[in-house]
Amino acid sequence: MNDPRGDHLSVVVDLSPTQWHLSALQPPANVYPLPLSSFLSQLLAFLNSHMACKHENTLAVFGALPGKSVMLYSSTNPAKNLQVMDSNSYPPFKLVDTTVVTRTAEELDALGDPDEEEPLGLVGAMTKALCYINRITLPPAQIPGKKQGISNSLVMPEPRILVLSVSPDHATSYIPIMNSIFSAQKLKVTIDVCQLYGPETVFLQQAAHLTGGSYIHLERRDALLQYLIMSFLPPPSIRKVLSVPTQDKIDFRAACFCHKTIVDVGFVCSVCLSIFCQPVPVCSTCRTKFPIKTLQRLNASRPPPNATNTTRTTTGTPVPQSASNPTTPALTQPTSTNGSSVHRPAQARSSLSQQSSM
Amino acid sequence: MATLPPQQDEGHHSLLPFLQSQSHTTLTRLYQRPSSCLSIFRLLRPVEKQLIMNLLWLESAIDAAKMAAWVTRENKKAYDDALHALVRVHVVPAPKDGKLALNQTFKSSFRQALTGGGTSGSFGVIFDNGEKRLPFTIEELDSYALERWETILHYMVSSGSDQKPTKPSQGVLYLLERRKLMSKFYGDTLQITSAGFQFLLHTPHAQLWDLLLQYLHMAEERQMDLVEVLGFLFMLSTMELGKEYATDHLSETQKAMLEDLRDYGLILQKKPSARRFSPTRLATTLTSSSPPLPTSAGTSSGPQEGFIVLETNYRLYAYTDNPLQTAVLNLFVSLKYRFPNLVVGSITRDSVKKALLNGITADQMISYLTTHAHPQMRKNNPLIPVTVQDQIRLWELEKNRLRSDEGYLYTSFASQADYDYVLKYAKELGVVLWESPMKRCFFGSMTGHANIRGFIERRTNANGA
Repeated sequence: MNDPRGDHLSVVVDLSPTQWHLSALQPPANVYPLPLSSFLSQLLAFLNSHMACKHENTLAVFGALPGKSVMLYSSTNPAKNLQVMDSNSYPPFKLVDTTVVTRTAEELDALGDPDEEEPLGLVGAMTKALCYINRITLPPAQIPGKKQGISNSLVMPEPRILVLSVSPDHATSYIPIMNSIFSAQKLKVTIDVCQLYGPETVFLQQAAHLTGGSYIHLERRDALLQYLIMSFLPPPSIRKVLSVPTQDKIDFRAACFCHKTIVDVGFVCSVCLSIFCQPVPVCSTCRTKFPIKTLQRLNASRPPPNATNTTRTTTGTPVPQSASNPTTPALTQPTSTNGSSVHRPAQARSSLSQQSSM
Repeated sequence: MATLPPQQDEGHHSLLPFLQSQSHTTLTRLYQRPSSCLSIFRLLRPVEKQLIMNLLWLESAIDAAKMAAWVTRENKKAYDDALHALVRVHVVPAPKDGKLALNQTFKSSFRQALTGGGTSGSFGVIFDNGEKRLPFTIEELDSYALERWETILHYMVSSGSDQKPTKPSQGVLYLLERRKLMSKFYGDTLQITSAGFQFLLHTPHAQLWDLLLQYLHMAEERQMDLVEVLGFLFMLSTMELGKEYATDHLSETQKAMLEDLRDYGLILQKKPSARRFSPTRLATTLTSSSPPLPTSAGTSSGPQEGFIVLETNYRLYAYTDNPLQTAVLNLFVSLKYRFPNLVVGSITRDSVKKALLNGITADQMISYLTTHAHPQMRKNNPLIPVTVQDQIRLWELEKNRLRSDEGYLYTSFASQADYDYVLKYAKELGVVLWESPMKRCFFGSMTGHANIRGFIERRTNANGA
């Protein structure tokens, strides 16, 4: 009751039909099958819990669909045409539940042909969530032509984004995800990530790490709601008292700018810090030309293609240089891995820098 | 007279001590309603809320140690406090064998509140009028609530003067008298008390709960079923503004409450006998911490937020035409001019002294000025000019030049050494209030007297022997 302002939570839900189909398969394909319907009911309980915590708490739900992203619900302008009243439920909860369920069903029905699925609009949804937060956190005083109304009460103290993902990484979305992370850092938005199905995602791990959020790869999928409530419900102020799980290992690998593949070893342009998976004569971003000699030496020092390091993650407690230098988050990482095969490119990278800076 | 228990814990809602004083059975009956669970949950502190949430969906009890493992080391105390507070309102039964779980009734009702369903009807039954008559608009409700509430406050504030404001209903007057905000000093007319002056400077939210708490205490005396009363208040707090609810499903106690709540401005009914009622903003924001009370809702009377500009030369400009706000300011400001939308006055020694005499403290004045400061003032840091703040505090200190303590004066020590020896002992006990080495005497408080006397006697005996 101390802070008269509410907390804001934006939830980004991954609604990829293929992945949800796979997720719903019975054992032995999944130890704990989780169909979309049961996920939704647990999600709604979680959303209601957030709304229950404070009268002023605000909520927005975004859906990431193949090829597009939509806003499913927002508490600032809820769909007014839904007049479902029921003496057994709290009206705001009822409104959230019906809106999210009907909108999700609408969007999924509108998808049509499921044969060829476009890449997921996860970044779009995250960006929309960031834009939305930016809009609601903007003090109304700065909106021209609008009388100062409830100025301070609208500024959210701790906006958060929760990404509920079921899809693996799309290497093409590396740069946009990194950019949204930077915007989130600037807005002081915490990004929490819960990977419900499939492999760990490199980019979302980084998103959670760099914004001070929590990343969870769900193992006991039958206990989804408990995970959500214990890890993602408390706002940052409470996380100081009741800690939430954090990552003990973070995959800091980046995707190269040329082929959009996730690389263990990268080559970084010394001028603009673009990442490449192989030595290039000209940087495609800033057009810097590198000497032929350097290229040859770098090529010679590259590890053979099949002998790439099998340990793909930087285990232990890496000290991410990216955290201290947010403008070049992933660029310095490839060299921080272990093993001898990584050592040579590290030298190579520095020699590239030396060469081109001469 | 059931006095209000003082607010013990920082940040606790004023209702919680009242809930803590209730029996286990009463609370368990209250927890049978999902709407009450939700409202009580909202009154708790953040860590307590999170603890409830953590336990809510667990089917079996969990080891207390397991839950404590989530607590960061430096905040162990906050966690223990939270757990203790939950035990006191019986949301969590006292841990047995190191196991933690929620009260079974609370758990099932709160789950129902979050997921909907059930047949309790605890969130109010909508009145289906078949589109015959339109319900009240939100503006109508706001202006009604505001009018009711300001009538009460205005009556209080002008009771000392010769103005004759509209009288609130008899029930309200009785409530004010019982809460000792007003009392009959002489004759039959009610006069505002010093508690009443302090009350006026509180936020509307605090004022409302203050009166409702008194109402609850009175309900206890009137043999009303507390569960029904509290349950109805909580039901109101979860209702939706601008909707009409049916009275058919209310119990007799709750129907009897309708009249009282109408007087306070919490609900609006067309006729006392009407079969429906609409909650106002006062009711629907009961469990929220923000002040979206009628004054801030954009009604004509009074500005939306801060309206006071205070300068370093003690001059005060209040952009308001609201008689209540003017009257409240008049408590500690000497007003000079009045314009259609502006009141000018200054804070003087006399005006502050008058307020202090009425029992208003300096801190209350400063906090009133702070909460109602004009947005222009918010650019200043500190918000209220330091000179003015300090001066108001100094004027308060002037009042406290004399302090009385009961105790004993120790004099006529035989030698300086004796004096020093006893004084040293008394200082170790921490009971010396005043000392004068010149006159070889000192003054000790009551509590230390027995010890000092014994000490002196022992010493005299030892010397004599």
